[in-house]
Amino acid sequence: MRALCWHGVNDLRVNDVPEPELVNPRDVVLRVRLTTACGSDLHFIDGYLPTMREGDVIGHEFMGEVAAVGRKVDDVEEGDRVVVPSFVGCGNCGYCRGDLWSLCDNTNPNPELQEPVLGDATAGIYGYTHAFGGYAGSHAEYVRVPHADVNCFHVPDELSDEQALFASDAWPTGYMGADFCDIRPGDTVAVWGCGGVGLMAQGSAALMGAERVVGIDRFPERLRMAREEAGSETIDYTEVDSVVDTLKRMTGGRGPDACIDAVGMEAHGTGLAHAYDRAKQTLRLHTDRGEALRQAIVACRKGGTLSILGVYGLMDKFPLGIVMNKGLTVRTAQQHGQAYVPRLLEHVAEGEMDPSYLATHELPLEDAVRGYDLFKHKEDGCVRPVFAP
Amino acid sequence: MSPPPPSVATAGPPERPHAPHRSPVDGSPGTWERAATAALGGTLLARGLRRRSFGGAAAALGGGWLLYRAITGRGRSARTFVPAPTWSSSGSDRTGSGPSDGATTVERAVTVRGDADELAGVWRDPERLALVAGHVLEVTAGDGDGDGVAEDGNVEGGADQSDEGRLRWTVRGPLGRVLSWETRVVEERPGELLRWESVAGAAVPSEGEVRFDPAPGDRGTEVTLRVRFDPPGGRLGDAAMGRFGVVPDALVGGALRRFRSLVETGEVPTLEGNPSARGRGDLL
Repeated sequence: MRALCWHGVNDLRVNDVPEPELVNPRDVVLRVRLTTACGSDLHFIDGYLPTMREGDVIGHEFMGEVAAVGRKVDDVEEGDRVVVPSFVGCGNCGYCRGDLWSLCDNTNPNPELQEPVLGDATAGIYGYTHAFGGYAGSHAEYVRVPHADVNCFHVPDELSDEQALFASDAWPTGYMGADFCDIRPGDTVAVWGCGGVGLMAQGSAALMGAERVVGIDRFPERLRMAREEAGSETIDYTEVDSVVDTLKRMTGGRGPDACIDAVGMEAHGTGLAHAYDRAKQTLRLHTDRGEALRQAIVACRKGGTLSILGVYGLMDKFPLGIVMNKGLTVRTAQQHGQAYVPRLLEHVAEGEMDPSYLATHELPLEDAVRGYDLFKHKEDGCVRPVFAP
Repeated sequence: MSPPPPSVATAGPPERPHAPHRSPVDGSPGTWERAATAALGGTLLARGLRRRSFGGAAAALGGGWLLYRAITGRGRSARTFVPAPTWSSSGSDRTGSGPSDGATTVERAVTVRGDADELAGVWRDPERLALVAGHVLEVTAGDGDGDGVAEDGNVEGGADQSDEGRLRWTVRGPLGRVLSWETRVVEERPGELLRWESVAGAAVPSEGEVRFDPAPGDRGTEVTLRVRFDPPGGRLGDAAMGRFGVVPDALVGGALRRFRSLVETGEVPTLEGNPSARGRGDLL
C-alpha cells in the first residue's frame, strides 16, 4: 500500500509499505477514508522530538471504514464507518476507566523509552515517535487499530467524512482544553493559537457557555476563521505592543478567567523573549520555545485556570513563581479523546458545531508531502490539509 | 569471597530451603580460568571491532568465540559456576565483590487490576508466561534436564510440566548461539507468593520470586517481581548476557508491564507486523 513516511528531519516521502494485518484478538484493520496533518507532527518533522526511525509511517488523526475484524471484537463490524481517537486506549486499566485515556497503562509497546524521562509511560499513539509507541500511522491506505471496541466510534449516517474526521484529535483536544476551564457564566477564555486545536478550543468554550472567547494568532486568515467560524474576538499579536496589556484592557483589568495554550513548543512571538527562545532552541539548550505559555501565565487573572494543550518537551525556566503567587490552577493532558467523541458527534448531528471548516485543502495521499509543506509554512491559507488515500 | 547464605533472607519469606547443589566457590581454578578467557575474548572482540580491517575482523571473531566459550562454560574448564544465594535488600543492585560474582538482583513492582489468586495462575502457565517474558526470553514447559543444550547447540524439546512447576528459559543470541536453563518452583503460598530457582547445573543460575499484596482502596493488587541472575563469568558474563539481549532491569520491568497488559486486556501491546518503509515485523 502507499503511505507517507518519515525519512529524516524535513524529509517526508510517499512509499510502498506492507499492509497491516490483524495481530492481537481485539484489533481491527481500517481502510482510511480521510486523514489529516496535526501541528504536533511538525515537532518530529522539524527534529525537536527524538525516537523517530527512518521509514516510519506517520499520521494520527483519521477516520475510515472497517476492513478486517479480530476474533475478540464485539461491537465493530466490517464496513462500519468509524472515527478513531489518536491515543490508543485499552478500556480496562484504571486510567481508561477513569476517562484518562491518553494515560492508558496497556497500549504503549515501548514504555521503556518514556519511563527514564517521564518516570512513567503514556498510552501509545498512531504514527508518532517510538517513545509514544511506534504504531504505524494513518497517512496510509490501511491502519491497524488495537482494542477496536473502545477506540472505534460509529459515525452517524447524516454526518460527512469531513465532519467526523476532526473528532479524532483536533476537536477532542480543544474540547478537553475548554472542559478543563470549568467555564461558568460570565467567564472570558483566551486561547493562544488559531490552528486546528485552538479553533476547536474556542468553539468548544463558546459551546460551554463562555461569555467571551479571545483568539490570539498572527495569520489573518486564521484570525478571520476565529471570528467567523468560532465567534471569537481576536488579537493579532504582531499588531499590538503587548498581548497581556491588550487582554487586561479587554477584561476591565482582571485578565481572562481561563487561558488555553494551543501552541506548544514551537511558539512564535515578537521581541526579546522570542529571540531568546529561538536562540536557545537552535543551540539545543532547550527543547521548547515557550513564549505563548509565558504570556498566558502573566495574562491570566488571579486564581484563574491555565489549560495547556500545546505539546512540550523538557522545558526549563518555567515561571512557576508566577503560577504559585497568582494561585493559578494548571490543567493539562494529551487528549482523552474517548471520553468526548460521542458527545462531539452529537453536537454535529444537532447542528451545534461543525468542525469541517478546518479542512482548507483536500489532497490525494500522493500529494501529502506538498500538503505538509503548505501546512508547515501556513501557505495559501492552509489550516489543515486533508488526505484521501 | 561471597558470604554464606543468611539464615533468614527478609522478614517476609521464611527461611530459604537449603539447596544442596549450591556451595560457595572461592576462586576455584575453573572459575578463574573462565574469567581470564572471557577477559581475553572480550578484549580481542572490542579491539577487533574497532579496527575495520581483515585482521580486526579475525580478532573480533576469535575474541567472540573465546567469550562465548567462557560464558557458556563449554571450554576445557567448563565447571558449573555456583554462586552463593544472597538476596539484595534494595531495589536493584549487585551483590558480592569478587571478579567471579556478577550476580544481579532486580526488583520492580506494578499495580494490576485483579485479585492475587487470578494473577498467580499466569506465573505457572508456560503459554501465558511466554507472552509475559517477551521476545528476548523463550519460555516452555521444562523437561527435568539441567542444562538442556544438546551438543549441536539445539534446545531439547520439553514436553510436560511436572508438579515442581518446571520451566525452560531460552535466549537466542547472534549467530545461532543459545543459552538455556531450567527452573522449578520451590515455594508457593497461594494468593501470596511464588518462588522458583534454577535447577542444578543450569547454564544461567537464577532465582526469582513474585509477591502479591493487596493495593489500597480498589486499586487491585501490587505485584512485586524479584529476579537474581548469576551469569557465568561474573561481571563480564553479565555484559555478555547483555549482548544476548538479556538486560535484567529491562527484562523484569518489561515482564511486569506485559503481565499487567495480559491480565487486564487479554493481550500484550505489540508492533508485530507494523508497516513501515523498513519492511514488516518491526520490533524495537
